[in-house]
Amino acid sequence: MASLVPCPHCGPRPKEEFTIKGAALPRPAPTADPAEWFDYVYLRDNPRGSYAEYWHHTAGCRRWLVVSRDTITHQVAACRDAAAQGHAA
Amino acid sequence: MPDLRPFPALAARKPLASSRIRLSALPEGTILQMIAGPQTPGPVDGLERLAAKTGLALRAISPGQWLLVGDRPTPYPQACRLLAALEPHASGIDQSHGRVRLHLEGPMAATVLSKGTAVDLHPSAFAPGHTAATLVGHVSVHLTRLDAEAFEITVLRGFAEALWDDLALMCAEFL
Amino acid sequence: MSSHRLPQGGLIDRSKPLAFTFDGKPMQGFQGDSLASALLANGRRLVGRSFKYHRPRGILTAGAAEPNALVTIGSGGRTEPNTRATMQELYAGLAARSQNRWPSLHFDIGALNGLLSPFLGAGFYYKTFMWPAAFWEKVYEPFIRKAAGLGRATHQADPDRYEKRWAHCDLLVIGAGPTGLAAALSAARAGARVIVADEQAMAGGALLSETATIAGRTAPAFARDCAAELEALPNVTLLTRTTVFGWYDGNVFGAVERVQKHLAEPAPSVPVERLWRIVAKGAILASGAEERPLVFGGNDIPGVMMAGAMRSYLNRHAVAPGRATAIFTTNDSGYALARDLEAKGLDITAIIDPRESGGADYAGKARLIRNAVVTDAHGGRSLSAIDIRTGGRTERLAVDALALSGGFSPVIHLACHRGGRPVWSGEKAAFLSPASLDGLAPAGAASGIAGLAACLADGAHKGASLAAALGFAASPIPFGPVEGDAPAAPAKVLWSIPGVRGKAFVDFQNDVHHRDLDLAVKEGYGHVELAKRYTTSGMATDQGKLSNINAIGLLAEARGVSPGEVGTTTFRPFYTPVSFGALAGAYHGEHFQPVRRSPLHGWAERHGAVFVETGLWYRSAWFPRTGEKDWRESVDREVLNVRNNAGLCDVSMLGKIEICGPDAAELLNRAYCNAFLKLPVGKARYGLMLREDGMVYDDGTTSRIEENRFFMTTTTAYAAGVMNHMEFCAQALWPELDVRLASVTDQWAQMAIAGPKSRKILQAIVDEDLGNDAFPYLAAREVSLFGGRLHGRLFRISFSGELAYELAVPAAYGDRVAEALTEAGQADGLVPYGVEALSVLRIEKGHVTHNEINGTVTPGDLGFGKMVSASKPDFIGKAMLQREGLNAPDRPRLVGVVPLDPGQSFRSGAHILAKGAAPTLENDQGYVTSSAFSPHIGSTIGLALVRHGDERHGEDVTVWNGLRGEFTAARLCAPVFFDPANEKLHA
Repeated sequence: MASLVPCPHCGPRPKEEFTIKGAALPRPAPTADPAEWFDYVYLRDNPRGSYAEYWHHTAGCRRWLVVSRDTITHQVAACRDAAAQGHAA
Repeated sequence: MPDLRPFPALAARKPLASSRIRLSALPEGTILQMIAGPQTPGPVDGLERLAAKTGLALRAISPGQWLLVGDRPTPYPQACRLLAALEPHASGIDQSHGRVRLHLEGPMAATVLSKGTAVDLHPSAFAPGHTAATLVGHVSVHLTRLDAEAFEITVLRGFAEALWDDLALMCAEFL
Repeated sequence: MSSHRLPQGGLIDRSKPLAFTFDGKPMQGFQGDSLASALLANGRRLVGRSFKYHRPRGILTAGAAEPNALVTIGSGGRTEPNTRATMQELYAGLAARSQNRWPSLHFDIGALNGLLSPFLGAGFYYKTFMWPAAFWEKVYEPFIRKAAGLGRATHQADPDRYEKRWAHCDLLVIGAGPTGLAAALSAARAGARVIVADEQAMAGGALLSETATIAGRTAPAFARDCAAELEALPNVTLLTRTTVFGWYDGNVFGAVERVQKHLAEPAPSVPVERLWRIVAKGAILASGAEERPLVFGGNDIPGVMMAGAMRSYLNRHAVAPGRATAIFTTNDSGYALARDLEAKGLDITAIIDPRESGGADYAGKARLIRNAVVTDAHGGRSLSAIDIRTGGRTERLAVDALALSGGFSPVIHLACHRGGRPVWSGEKAAFLSPASLDGLAPAGAASGIAGLAACLADGAHKGASLAAALGFAASPIPFGPVEGDAPAAPAKVLWSIPGVRGKAFVDFQNDVHHRDLDLAVKEGYGHVELAKRYTTSGMATDQGKLSNINAIGLLAEARGVSPGEVGTTTFRPFYTPVSFGALAGAYHGEHFQPVRRSPLHGWAERHGAVFVETGLWYRSAWFPRTGEKDWRESVDREVLNVRNNAGLCDVSMLGKIEICGPDAAELLNRAYCNAFLKLPVGKARYGLMLREDGMVYDDGTTSRIEENRFFMTTTTAYAAGVMNHMEFCAQALWPELDVRLASVTDQWAQMAIAGPKSRKILQAIVDEDLGNDAFPYLAAREVSLFGGRLHGRLFRISFSGELAYELAVPAAYGDRVAEALTEAGQADGLVPYGVEALSVLRIEKGHVTHNEINGTVTPGDLGFGKMVSASKPDFIGKAMLQREGLNAPDRPRLVGVVPLDPGQSFRSGAHILAKGAAPTLENDQGYVTSSAFSPHIGSTIGLALVRHGDERHGEDVTVWNGLRGEFTAARLCAPVFFDPANEKLHA
């Protein structure tokens, strides 16, 4: 029914305005070990509890956000612009 | 010479009006999207002056992004100058044809919009001049409160008719 | 049947009689009646048959929890099965029909199920029908399906309108009974934005059935005054006929407003139901408490009713329960009913109270039997007698109405919707809300408080303090003294009643009785979640609103633990059923999803296009001409015409992205696997975008319009995704790059002009010289049109392999420009072509689309291996593309395929087998990704992904269509069927 995401630019908005990409992980250096790349592309933690994900405010400001969300309660603990701290997460 | 009059996206939609609500298309004039670079501190220097000079209204749409809108088309050479006016701080992109503006007015205007958007349109939260990029139903729009009972709704051209038809349905009980 | 309506009193409007029918029989009620009260007033007790045993059932409650009185109302597309008669307002012409009976409600053959009841006990599904297996499908299931059940849904479309709305408030008050009204007023008077929602047609809740007075006003008058004040405040929205059905994260509440469900003919422009999503800073749960039934034999016989419900029908609707009424109560609320019945001159045969000293304050005339229980009720279709057991003796009393009160359960469903577990209170003998709730405060009876005065005070206090916490200067409103208040002290707990002989129902709607639960415990299904599923207790449409507490109590007793230890099953939305209409809102039919319209739609329509739905777009598929027998004929003509003359095709729906800024080239260089840094201004380049796993994501052309301004095109299908992806690259991956991205898909009407005569035709409207030297292959420039009257962008790119251009003009001019070109090209044979012809042309040329770019292919698989930059330090997909498996020699690679016999054909999706190989998975060599009839070749042609495909040109294979059992002899070839030397492109 709902799930309001507190977009730092637009205020609380319902999840239908967003596109979810998945875990917010730092992209390895191009020269990084293949195992590191494999982890980045394929391996996910699927935690019960706090999880940081990339959400795109597609139908709003069109900014990519890093949303820290509790996977049990959907409570959003933090939401920042993905560009705000330089490289991802 | 061939007929080169522009063909408005909502040419086939006639205004809907009652004492409580009025839905109409705004003239397809000028819409310029101005985008600042990530290192440019907003607001971009000169943006407000440019708006004042051209008589275009300024709408914030996203961090570092604005629309300059007006009811009259801007001739090509002048538009080219405007698009480049804020370089290198901001780039201009002509969206005069890419976006269509609708006008929703009347005491029930906010109620009608609340059938589509989750933005709180109470005057204490969304005063005249406020803007929001949001969904109205299934369509992305850019919403501006023009005054207490009037809104400008800017939509991608291809969705203009679909949005109109959805809004018409939302207005129906007040017509 | 004689009237049970009292000569005076109640909140009904006797000047407005309403005629209605039940099972075709005409009856009459009044404005203000519910269907249930009107049926009772007409002396109608039997209103339905039960789910499993087809037992006669009547009206048990006066509210949302009603398990028995389910009827079907309306007709045609407005048919609503399982409507609770207790919640349906009466209107003139209402036609209600009973359910789950055949041939009639009075004589129901299904009642024979009652005789089978030894076989239909708990778990009967699992036990009875174990074998023979074939019997299950052919005999048992159809039998059960026919015999069991509730109402039947209609297959006709619902003619009515539905909609959704968002709302925002400081305080949402759920329930407009005494607690809710006090809370709302206390917050609203201080200026808070308040929404009050109540499921009834008018605010008041329990006040509407109450005989106590508040500061001298009757309770209904007090409710009316409070509602009037709330309605008059601009900061308050009072929603009646509105059920708040769910509490969601973000403190959003779902509610459904029945706007016109109480009208015979809804106004067509107004929705019949409105789904609200209410964002509340704070909320008060003032949903009251539910009275508990008592579990004795025959407790489901029509005439047995909850005490509060009987009081409500008596006081609010002026309906007498019967001529001889008994009251079976474990708490003091039964005495309030007794007082009101006697005040109206109605006879009470007895009050049965299991407490030793219950009813100490009772001053009425009725016989009060303490230390007693009702063990059985008798009467079939209508109550006639009850058995009372006291001190080991059993006495039978003739009564025609029996009121029950087993205590009260706070209605805490919403408070548990976000995962919180209810807490058992031994003191209150009830489950209370989870201890810590953020954003929702239970108040009044919903928090276990009893009595009118206490509820008013609690509501006022909580409403004011929540408003104060939000910064409003609010204080609790004192409402004055309450006279005649009868707070029900906590009930004596009475889960099981000794000496019961008949079926003692726990879950009325699913026909679960006491012995079913005992059986569940005995057979090892005593856990509350298991017992629920084993017995189906609590699984009916009422979700156990009345029954769950008794089921838990009985399980606790049988297991010898406390109800708190048994716990509850999980509470989930919706609190009461919500129609699919309300959930879909306006989004069905032509409003199901938005249609995206190309600026050339009108042009295509005028030229007779047949449209095909492509995502949200309608694309012109082909343009039939008079005399053409089928689509193939039209498409073949369009293809040949492009090859021989020229064609015009709408490509406006390609995604278009403008990329500006000093680092625009760098971003492109990282997003594409091929090089873009050195693309000259005025040139277009084909670009291949990979995913981070090394697979191809999308392709398109990107042109450099100015030094720091690029124009990217994407495929239609991936336009939105590529824009999101480019923004991800710019914002999340490389925010240090100074780039500015804008979607310009809708700004430009874009048309492909393809064919040997395209230059000549275009030159008629383009001012600049289009000669091969001045505007060579891959030129991309802004151009002036019609002598400077218009400006557009012209790209010399080709999807068909012909000399071809794409012209983009500002969208509003698209229609006229396309028309002007069509006219200018007429002499040279230019005709419109659609996406079908476009597809044939590109297959002939061996160009790939998402048929080939299907998420499993690398650039190398498509023959683009050499395009991938070896020198770029980084690009999306670079690292993972190095993986061994992605460079294995036996990967499926792009190849052409043609049938050996031109008269034969094959389809996309068919598999490739080595010639003569058996059609097995092991022999599978790959599959056809695209196929079409090529008028140029004169046969079907295909593109395929085949193992070692690039090394097998000329090999004979078999194309195997396993779904159709077809085998086609074919030959692999180079994936270019037309102009392999690209002479036409550069002409």
